[in-house]
Amino acid sequence: MDNNETPAQRPVTLDITGTVEVKPSLSEAPISPEPSLLPSSDVHFQEESIDLGGESFITPEEDSHSTPSESLMDKLNDQMMESVMISDSPINSEEDDVVPMDNLLEQFEEREEEPAAAVVKETLVEEEKEEVGEKVDDLIGQDTTEIKIEAAMMQTSPVASSPEEPLENVKQKLTTVDQDVITVSVSAVTPEDSTPSSGSPKPEAAALEASSKETTSKDESIPVCTIFSQGSQPKAQALVPDGFQPTLIKSPSFSSGTGGSTEITPSQLAPLVCQPSPSLSKFFSDSGHVNPATDFFDSFTTSSFISISNPNAESPKSAAPPERQLSASSGSSLSTSGLTESGIPTPSSFIGPTQTEATPRPLQQAPVEPAPATAPQPFTQLQAVFSGGDDPFATALNMSEADKRYDAWLPSEETRKVLISMATQQYSQVFVERERLAMPGLKFDNLQGDAVKDLMVRLMGEQAAMKRQVLTANSVEQSFLGLKQLISTKNWRAAVDLTGRLLTAHGQGYGKAGQPSSHNTDSLQLWFVRLALLTKLSLFQNAEMELEPFGNLDQPDLYYEYYPTVYPGRRGSMVPFSMRVLHAELPQYLGKPQESLDRLHSMRTVCQTILDNLEQGLAEDGSMINLTQENRQASLQLWKSRLSRVMYAMANCLLMMKDYVLAVETYHSIIQYEPQQKVQLLSGIGRIFLQIGDIKTAEKYFLDVEKASLEKGSGTTDTCVLMNRAFIYLSQNNYSEAHSSFAEVLKIDPKNPVANNNAAVCLLYLGRLKESLRQLEGLVQQDPALYLHESVLFNLTTMYELESSRSTQKKQALLESVACREGDSFNTQCLKLV
Amino acid sequence: MEVNQAKQEHLLALKGLHMEISGKFPTFCNPKPNVYLMRLTKPTLFTNMPVTCEDRDLPGDLFGRLMKEDPSTIKGSEALMLGEMLTLPQNFGNIFLGETFSSYISVNNDSSQLVKDILVKADLQTSSQRLNLSASNNAVTELKPESCIDDVIHHEVKEIGTHILVCAVSYTTQAGEKLYFRKFFKFQVLKPLDVKTKFYNAETDEVFLEAQIQNITTSSMFMEKVSLEPSMMYNVAELNTVETEDEGTSTFGKMSYLQPMDTRQYLYCLKPKPEFAEKAGVIKGVTVIGKLDIVWKTNLGERGRLQTSQLQRMAPGYGDVRLSLEMIPDTVNLEEPFDITCKITNCSERTMDLVLEMCNTCSIHWCGVSGRQLGKVSPSASLALPLKLLSSVQGLQSISGLRLTDTFLKRTYEYDDIAQVCVVCPYMSRES
Repeated sequence: MDNNETPAQRPVTLDITGTVEVKPSLSEAPISPEPSLLPSSDVHFQEESIDLGGESFITPEEDSHSTPSESLMDKLNDQMMESVMISDSPINSEEDDVVPMDNLLEQFEEREEEPAAAVVKETLVEEEKEEVGEKVDDLIGQDTTEIKIEAAMMQTSPVASSPEEPLENVKQKLTTVDQDVITVSVSAVTPEDSTPSSGSPKPEAAALEASSKETTSKDESIPVCTIFSQGSQPKAQALVPDGFQPTLIKSPSFSSGTGGSTEITPSQLAPLVCQPSPSLSKFFSDSGHVNPATDFFDSFTTSSFISISNPNAESPKSAAPPERQLSASSGSSLSTSGLTESGIPTPSSFIGPTQTEATPRPLQQAPVEPAPATAPQPFTQLQAVFSGGDDPFATALNMSEADKRYDAWLPSEETRKVLISMATQQYSQVFVERERLAMPGLKFDNLQGDAVKDLMVRLMGEQAAMKRQVLTANSVEQSFLGLKQLISTKNWRAAVDLTGRLLTAHGQGYGKAGQPSSHNTDSLQLWFVRLALLTKLSLFQNAEMELEPFGNLDQPDLYYEYYPTVYPGRRGSMVPFSMRVLHAELPQYLGKPQESLDRLHSMRTVCQTILDNLEQGLAEDGSMINLTQENRQASLQLWKSRLSRVMYAMANCLLMMKDYVLAVETYHSIIQYEPQQKVQLLSGIGRIFLQIGDIKTAEKYFLDVEKASLEKGSGTTDTCVLMNRAFIYLSQNNYSEAHSSFAEVLKIDPKNPVANNNAAVCLLYLGRLKESLRQLEGLVQQDPALYLHESVLFNLTTMYELESSRSTQKKQALLESVACREGDSFNTQCLKLV
Repeated sequence: MEVNQAKQEHLLALKGLHMEISGKFPTFCNPKPNVYLMRLTKPTLFTNMPVTCEDRDLPGDLFGRLMKEDPSTIKGSEALMLGEMLTLPQNFGNIFLGETFSSYISVNNDSSQLVKDILVKADLQTSSQRLNLSASNNAVTELKPESCIDDVIHHEVKEIGTHILVCAVSYTTQAGEKLYFRKFFKFQVLKPLDVKTKFYNAETDEVFLEAQIQNITTSSMFMEKVSLEPSMMYNVAELNTVETEDEGTSTFGKMSYLQPMDTRQYLYCLKPKPEFAEKAGVIKGVTVIGKLDIVWKTNLGERGRLQTSQLQRMAPGYGDVRLSLEMIPDTVNLEEPFDITCKITNCSERTMDLVLEMCNTCSIHWCGVSGRQLGKVSPSASLALPLKLLSSVQGLQSISGLRLTDTFLKRTYEYDDIAQVCVVCPYMSRES
């Protein structure tokens, strides 16, 4: 291109370089960088932008959703912003220094004492500048010589700039080592490339023309920089302006709060709100069949004072028109047939027993339940379902020490008052404001579906997708047993559906939030499981919505004391401790880590107080009840482990907030509660330091790990120590040593999935892609149980993309093996098939 | 694919990025190797999300078992979030000046036919230069189907702005056709740090440099080294540690990392080397102080290094005659004479003949004769001047009132607020 330059053009370009030099200095002027630049300089900006390559300035974060006409302006604007950045760079450093000279002149005039020498110096600079200009004239378009010019400018400019304000902040230009003066200012040189050869002195029109040409061509399929470019480029372009595609899995501690960065956590990418799908409520209302799960609950908890204020507790039935019973036959046959197919007792079979159990409750005021359509099953079967049954009399009798230990909690002062009045006025009604009660209900009731199957349908067609068989909420027993079955087979989505059904049966179904309902141990456990699963599935927003009615988990009706007739004599929190932890941890996944910390801190205070009470010879809640030594020890142990769980949660949250100082401190303090985890904790702290980049401190901690593992006296070198060593090598860019350290771990523990995966990763950094791939592929084939993990699969798919144009087929093969083994909770994003 | 490539090259040529249009466009026939590129930033550690329950809860040991079976958790302490599993970088990410750009280049033969004499060339085009990054420039004699040529390139980034990695592949098909194609990977290099400096001149010849370093990246940064490399005229003392018994602790606390947008101040004290300090007149005008050398690390030891340009400082203007203090007590007694020693340096280019006048202020009273002849002082020469004075007022008093007159030019130089001295009442202090 440069060779095309005709000598006739040069004077023109010289003019341009002159103006370009002045203009950025205007914007950089210390007083006020006015956006209103000279019109001519505006034009030059446009020219600059052309030369610097159009879309290149669209940073990866910016998306190309603007229309072409808009994007023209946008792009130009972007470039104007950028160009300021560029003038920050060492390239245009002389421009900063030119302006002060003007100011200097004035200042010098004002000074009396200043000798003429300064002025002489000044003019010298100007002379040099002119020289430079001449040089530019001569050498324009020749990169190497231009660098020299820049160098000359650099040397002269400081003389001019620094006398002005020696004590002022001087923005120092950064240059890299070995290269103090670098780069040709493209902006200065390039306008000539775009100016028409006619050699017109004012290049504006031409420049505009060029720029428009430029932008139009931009809209066509573009160029360059597609990392992992696939066959269909224009398509990719539409999505990814720069080719740097923000994708998948980044550890949350890295990506949270990174603002403009392109790193996106799976949770951010994952559809946070469930996809529309057949409504769960249809399961109850439209089937025309008596809700099979409705009677799963024994509703003895609907004691007098609650049912008065709780007319909706039984609503699934009461709301249904009576003729539903009559028309039930067809609907029920449908649903039952589906269930019987899977060889599981029909749900309706539970209705009978619950009825029988419900009879002893005092003052039943609930609407009379419709008679069961089918014959009741033997009572024993239900007992099996209710392993931790809440028979009021049984619990009153068996009110064990363990219950007391596990249920202990310290309510807030206000709640405590309500509970005390509840206990003293056992038989009269205590008025509790509605606002002070927990009134939860499902916030969404669509079925969760199966992402793996959806993906298979999309990519391989219905036929192939038929092979995918997973358990659904329908195919298991409508009970805790079925729920456990779904959880252990990793069908968490189906498990969420099932919890929804069971909760609907309890009167806390879809749309019931804000309506009074009663709680019992099982309903709260169901809520816990549901929320835990939603969290595990990264459906944080859903979990938050449903947790919202629970407030801070301190409402009086969440304590056993609130139900003196149902749970006579039982005290403490109905809310399981794990649910409190979950409740506290949740906000951090939604960008509110501070709230998480607040909740965790108050939990920690409670745990600490309970521990103090126990150590002072009191009961957990501070009452004077005598505990046997055995029980006290058991309780101390339990609460210590709970405290350490809270501390873990705090440390994890701090790590997510990138408050490394506090996170490390907190992890360190856990050692005193969990001395057996010392090695893991110290290693973890070491890894935090590695993540920050502080390798020296990390080494210090890893040394402590070595000492600690020696104390444990395992004799042989611990895998943990070797692993840490490998990480240190990795941080020193010594991938071959890191690889051999991971290999050493494998000698001791050949099945170690972490070492296997990490060794493969090292191989890639060593340039041994095929080997790395072979290793990972082999692992996934041999031991899918261990290696069908999202991190491993993610690595594998990344390497496929690097290795071959047939990566999509290979990924689909992975999807098939996933489909055979994994439940519906599998995160398909790691396959990068979409 | 091929069509696009042709367009790319055309476009780039239009843009004047100093890229010659390739001699031969790739033809539309197979076989053709493919180039894949992946930036090798450091891998990241996988984090898991602990969700736990207790044995008495509904799921029983289910959650615990699931977490134990999960290969990414830390066995024995599953609630620890930060795991050990390494995951490959998932996107190009940002690259900053001073960091090392590493990339995996994989040239793969996807076709079913053998290709021969494959030459892969990776060049990095910056706005000023073009660098060859390939490890070897030797052609690979043949590339079988399904096999690939691997190369890992490294380059320390020394320029801000657009960089284009140009991968050029030339090869020969079995039919003997010589083919050639290129792929471009463009990325932006950003500025990682913002550095501001400020000089403070002490009464002595010492200069203090305050450097504010701001992390303008989006990730936290461990500052491994921020040092000032002084120019030959100065010795430097870093004032960023507090010396305790045996080892110094950083003034920045336990962790020396910078969160995004955090700024940290470093302080350095520069003393002119004795051989330069002697000739006080020499250090005037603009002097080169030195440059800052900054080394930082990020995720798993990803390293970056930058140096600032030479920092320059305008020495304070002392005028023609500089008066500095050699010796002064910090605390003196009320109404008791005390000694100070001044140093008078001729900073001008001519010889001066000086007369010293001492004017009393309301609190400072000079002892001795005013209007004393100091004699001739040649350029850059200096003379020490012991003086006696007393204060009549308690408290922190400023010493003022010295006048030097150059009899040659009849020019008078005034020196006020030369130094401060604390004046105390001796009786009071004895009691206390």
